[in-house]
Amino acid sequence: MKLLIVEDEPKTAEYLQKGLTEQGCAVDVAHNGVDGQHLALVHDYDVIVLDAMLPGIDGFTLLRALRQVKQTPVIMLTARDSIEDRVRGLHDGADDYLVKPFSFLELLARLQALQRRGRAQEPTQLKIANLQIDLIARKAWRGSERIDLSAKEFALLAVLARRQGEILSKTAIAELVWDMNFDSNTNVVEVAIKRLRAKVDNAFSPKLLHTIRGMGYVMEAREQADVDEEPAT
Amino acid sequence: MKRSITTRLVAMFALGALITLSLIGAALYGVLERELTRDQDDDLNTNLQNMRYSIERFGDLEHWARMQTKMDTLSPADGSVRFWVLSDDPRFLYGKGLDEMERVNQGEAGHGMLTMPISGHTYRTLSMRIAAFADRPPVRLIVGVDTAPFEHTLRAFLIALTLLTLGAVALVMALGWWIARIGLRPLQRLSLEARALRPKTLSQRLQEDRLPVELEDLTVAFNGALGRLEEAYQQLEGFNADVAHELRTPLANMIGGTQVALSRPRSAAEFEDTLQSNLEELERLRSIVNDMLFLARADQGEAATGLTAADVAHEVEMTIEFFEPLLDETGTTVAIEGELRAKATMNVALFRRALSNLLQNAIEHSAPGASLVVTITQRTGALWIAVTNPGATVAPTHLPRLFDRFYRVDSSRHDAGDVHGHGLGLAIVKAVASMHGGATLATSDAGLTTIGFSVAAA
Repeated sequence: MKLLIVEDEPKTAEYLQKGLTEQGCAVDVAHNGVDGQHLALVHDYDVIVLDAMLPGIDGFTLLRALRQVKQTPVIMLTARDSIEDRVRGLHDGADDYLVKPFSFLELLARLQALQRRGRAQEPTQLKIANLQIDLIARKAWRGSERIDLSAKEFALLAVLARRQGEILSKTAIAELVWDMNFDSNTNVVEVAIKRLRAKVDNAFSPKLLHTIRGMGYVMEAREQADVDEEPAT
Repeated sequence: MKRSITTRLVAMFALGALITLSLIGAALYGVLERELTRDQDDDLNTNLQNMRYSIERFGDLEHWARMQTKMDTLSPADGSVRFWVLSDDPRFLYGKGLDEMERVNQGEAGHGMLTMPISGHTYRTLSMRIAAFADRPPVRLIVGVDTAPFEHTLRAFLIALTLLTLGAVALVMALGWWIARIGLRPLQRLSLEARALRPKTLSQRLQEDRLPVELEDLTVAFNGALGRLEEAYQQLEGFNADVAHELRTPLANMIGGTQVALSRPRSAAEFEDTLQSNLEELERLRSIVNDMLFLARADQGEAATGLTAADVAHEVEMTIEFFEPLLDETGTTVAIEGELRAKATMNVALFRRALSNLLQNAIEHSAPGASLVVTITQRTGALWIAVTNPGATVAPTHLPRLFDRFYRVDSSRHDAGDVHGHGLGLAIVKAVASMHGGATLATSDAGLTTIGFSVAAA
């Protein structure tokens, strides 16, 4: 994925570039609106990450200028957590927005969602190692053994499996599975993951549901067994 | 220019005095004029009747000469009373300036006004017709009284009245100024007192006992405002301390952990561990900051947007469903009671957030296996959602403060391993309620604690 980051705060720009490059993206960085507009107009990016407050030309102006020429997807970063900003950003043609301070995981998830948007239909079957999921019949197997899951447990499994290899924060999981659109300050997700893990992972090998401490959870088949895999909490 | 109460009072006193005195003056003037007129009329009538009697009875010239003499006698030298007799027979004419009279006074019998064209004197007249008798043809007898003294009296009275009124108004103004100054003295004292108030002396109040009744209301209201201000100020100070305390722990953990990690050569795994630990603390900080921003917006009076008409019981079910893993784990059950068909206009995400904070709170403060109840109550103007949990009774002194930021009934409870909350959960419930024009309630009795909030009914 080819990305342009327009961000004047050097530390933010630096970690975004580093993090996104490591995720396999080709990342260009502009530190002000003028450079950003130039790059955005000259090159064809898959997504542009655009800070709203910029020296030179501000993000909204840049966005309007860009939209007159092309439809590159744009994620706005806005420091002011106000409704007007969001409305203004979306009205001007931003595809999504994030309120600062945002988490890197959140940005990653939004980028992937934007990329997915254009993609063809979702698969109906998922397969990770020997885990098999039928999204239509809402059934899952580990090898040949059928796993008995409640509706929400299946939804949780499907959310994780669809985003295979993608780290999902607890907040993101709560939103995707239960439509709880806020920081809930509760350990519900931890408990739900623990119970899912008991059904899907504990009796089987390889382990697929991993805890990334401080960040969230990821479902993927790893080369070797995790040494520092945390015990279920 | 600023309006001065003293000036206004003086002006109003003056206006009042002016109106009162003018009315009195006008009335007096009217009375005087009427009395004087009646006096003149009496005078006229007496003279007329007197002469009429004399004239009526005789018709010869000899008597007529005597009549003339009588009229001469009755007419004072200053001309204040005059007689005229008009007749077709020139022998029976009498009076000065008869030519003029005939021209100006062709009127009928009765009262009239008459201005002598040459002398300019104005007379009030009374005339009557006397029938012919013997030699005498019918004559017209006119008696006139000069109005000059009458008008002079009235004019003098008017001037005196005006001067007196103006003088009285001036006196009232002076007195009014003095009265206003004295009357406003408590206000001056009050403002001096108020000026002495400082943030440091917020507990100070204005003295109420020595004040007049009119100022007492104001002072009581002002003192009430001071009280609320003091409370808010103390709460703010306490709040700052709480925030600092709340932020200090994760910061200290991060600084200490990082210092320890850097003080020796470490393996990558050890550094990773440190970073992960830091990340946990940072997530905690982020969550506190986000919640505080949310509360700040609610404090600024931001109302909930994105309102939709929602089925309340459905939203309650959805939120309980979210807690299901946790409820299963602890064997806790939740029942929904009350008006299950109720609808409310609200921001669904905020509603779920508030309710999930209440549920989290209820689960935390009840033993495993407890039965929780979510009650939906429809009251006039508001829809209440309350969560009841069995658990230790909360002392009444704590109840109203449960919704304060960082307020903990038992400070040790926090340290006992409550890793999820940071003391803002119920404050957020209150904020959500206020964003929906609602309120909060907390009761605790006989081992049952109920905490709830309302949203304004659609």
